[in-house]
Amino acid sequence: MTVNAAATEPVARLIGVTKRIGSKTLVGDLTLDIPAGQVFGFLGPNGAGKTTTIRMMVGLISISRGDIVIGGRSIKTNFEEAVAQVGAIVENPEMYKFLTGYQNLKQYARMVSGVTKQRIQEVIELVGLGSRIHDKVKSYSLGMRQRLGVAQALLHRPKLLILDEPTNGLDPQGIRELRDYLRRLCREEGTTVFVSSHLLSEMELMCDSVAIIQNGKLIDVRQLKSEEGGQAQGRKFVFDVDNVQSAQALIGGTVKDAAIVVQTVREDIPELNAKLVSGGVKVYGIKEVVVSLEDQFLEMTGGEGIE
Amino acid sequence: MSKFSSLVHNENIKIYSRTRTWIMLLLLAVFSVLMPVLMYVSSSVESRPGMWDGFQITVSVIFYLNTIFTVVIASDAVAGEFSWGTIKLLLIRPWSRSKILLSKYISMVLFSLLTTVLLVVCAYAASLILLPSGRDVFSRSGWSPEAYSAMFVLCRYAELFLTAALAFMVSSVFRASGLAIGLSLFIIFVKNIFITIFNPDRYEWANYLPFSHMDLSGYLVSNTGPGGATLGFSIAVLAAYYAVFLLLSWIVFSRRDVAG
Repeated sequence: MTVNAAATEPVARLIGVTKRIGSKTLVGDLTLDIPAGQVFGFLGPNGAGKTTTIRMMVGLISISRGDIVIGGRSIKTNFEEAVAQVGAIVENPEMYKFLTGYQNLKQYARMVSGVTKQRIQEVIELVGLGSRIHDKVKSYSLGMRQRLGVAQALLHRPKLLILDEPTNGLDPQGIRELRDYLRRLCREEGTTVFVSSHLLSEMELMCDSVAIIQNGKLIDVRQLKSEEGGQAQGRKFVFDVDNVQSAQALIGGTVKDAAIVVQTVREDIPELNAKLVSGGVKVYGIKEVVVSLEDQFLEMTGGEGIE
Repeated sequence: MSKFSSLVHNENIKIYSRTRTWIMLLLLAVFSVLMPVLMYVSSSVESRPGMWDGFQITVSVIFYLNTIFTVVIASDAVAGEFSWGTIKLLLIRPWSRSKILLSKYISMVLFSLLTTVLLVVCAYAASLILLPSGRDVFSRSGWSPEAYSAMFVLCRYAELFLTAALAFMVSSVFRASGLAIGLSLFIIFVKNIFITIFNPDRYEWANYLPFSHMDLSGYLVSNTGPGGATLGFSIAVLAAYYAVFLLLSWIVFSRRDVAG
């Protein structure tokens, strides 16, 4: 039991976190546990307070009210020990352009203990920078800077890796690689990854769970990689028919965009179809509605952006 | 935890990896040698200044350059990190902001010591070689030329030290290196005009401004400074301003929200 309790202890807890600047509340009373060993998404439209929250988590800005606890240490009262367990990139990874990639990593390696030469080499290989690591950072492309950013965040084997919009400016291949090594990191080294984004489709592929934030308020936390069976009876099907009214009279359901949407199980589809056909309704197509995270998100946020 | 000295080492790397730092050091060495050379070629054998006079003239002129270069480094210490955006990665290490600021201040002072030693060595060597036969005519009121020159360098360094602290403060309060450089240089050059207009002999309050106290070398030949001040009073005024500058940098840097 005790072992289990330790394993499920969240890596980071945000407890009623509030950030106020003047009379404006950027983040209001945000309470969130980030479970260990997951890729945890932090989703919200631009200006929702994602970056503000992340800046508070790493101590770049002060917390107006509430607290953030990382690995049992408060970022407010025990900053050095709390932040030692965190590796982060906040917005774009800005490096010293007049130094080489390697010299940049050495800068950060010197600031913590126990980062050996081998570890630096290991991290360089993990992010795939190769021999370019010895070039000056000013010659790097955005993708390479992003990789160097991830490398500096991983140097000291943090328990919690925080990435703010890491896919910004990456090409599709770069995004795919990033996704793959974040998942690998999570699986192999047990690192918890906290990643913010406004790209829903990306988050869907990358994350185990997501928290959704809007206008500084947490509006939902949900599991993405849940067991398939859970939603068996909740599936929706669209019947593309010529006469919506008579179709609705025959099989019920709701009218949407000149088609009928019926909530049912897979086994009942042929029967419904037969009903329609025998009732004289022409059926052009039947397909399942896959509710993507994007639809759910837009549904929840009402499709609105910044307040 | 790693050691505090590695923070200072990091800051030193940031200073000395940049080409402009080496250009500044080179310029300083060249001008320190050039002054005695100019004195040598522009005068006949009879009117040539003596070695210690030549050294003192060189130091007093080239120290302006030394101050400017130190101010450039001091101004970039904090403001540079903000304009590069690297401050976000620097402040999320397991070190308190006070220690990071201190490491920056120490590396800046180390730079100023290096430039001062470079200047003194170059100026001394050039004066020694080029002006060995001239006669020293400057009044030194009982000091030996060696001791007087050493004290003179010390006084000029004190002035540089305070100006650099001002630049460092502006750099961390306003995060703008241009403003820090501009303001510090403005004070260096306007200081004397200010003293002329608001003479501390006529205006009591002017005694509490740092301007008339920044040049301590007057005390080498006289016991009273401008406005009847004593050496102790001048040092106290300078120390108070110094403490205020560093305190302001520290308060603002350690509390500031790093956003945008």
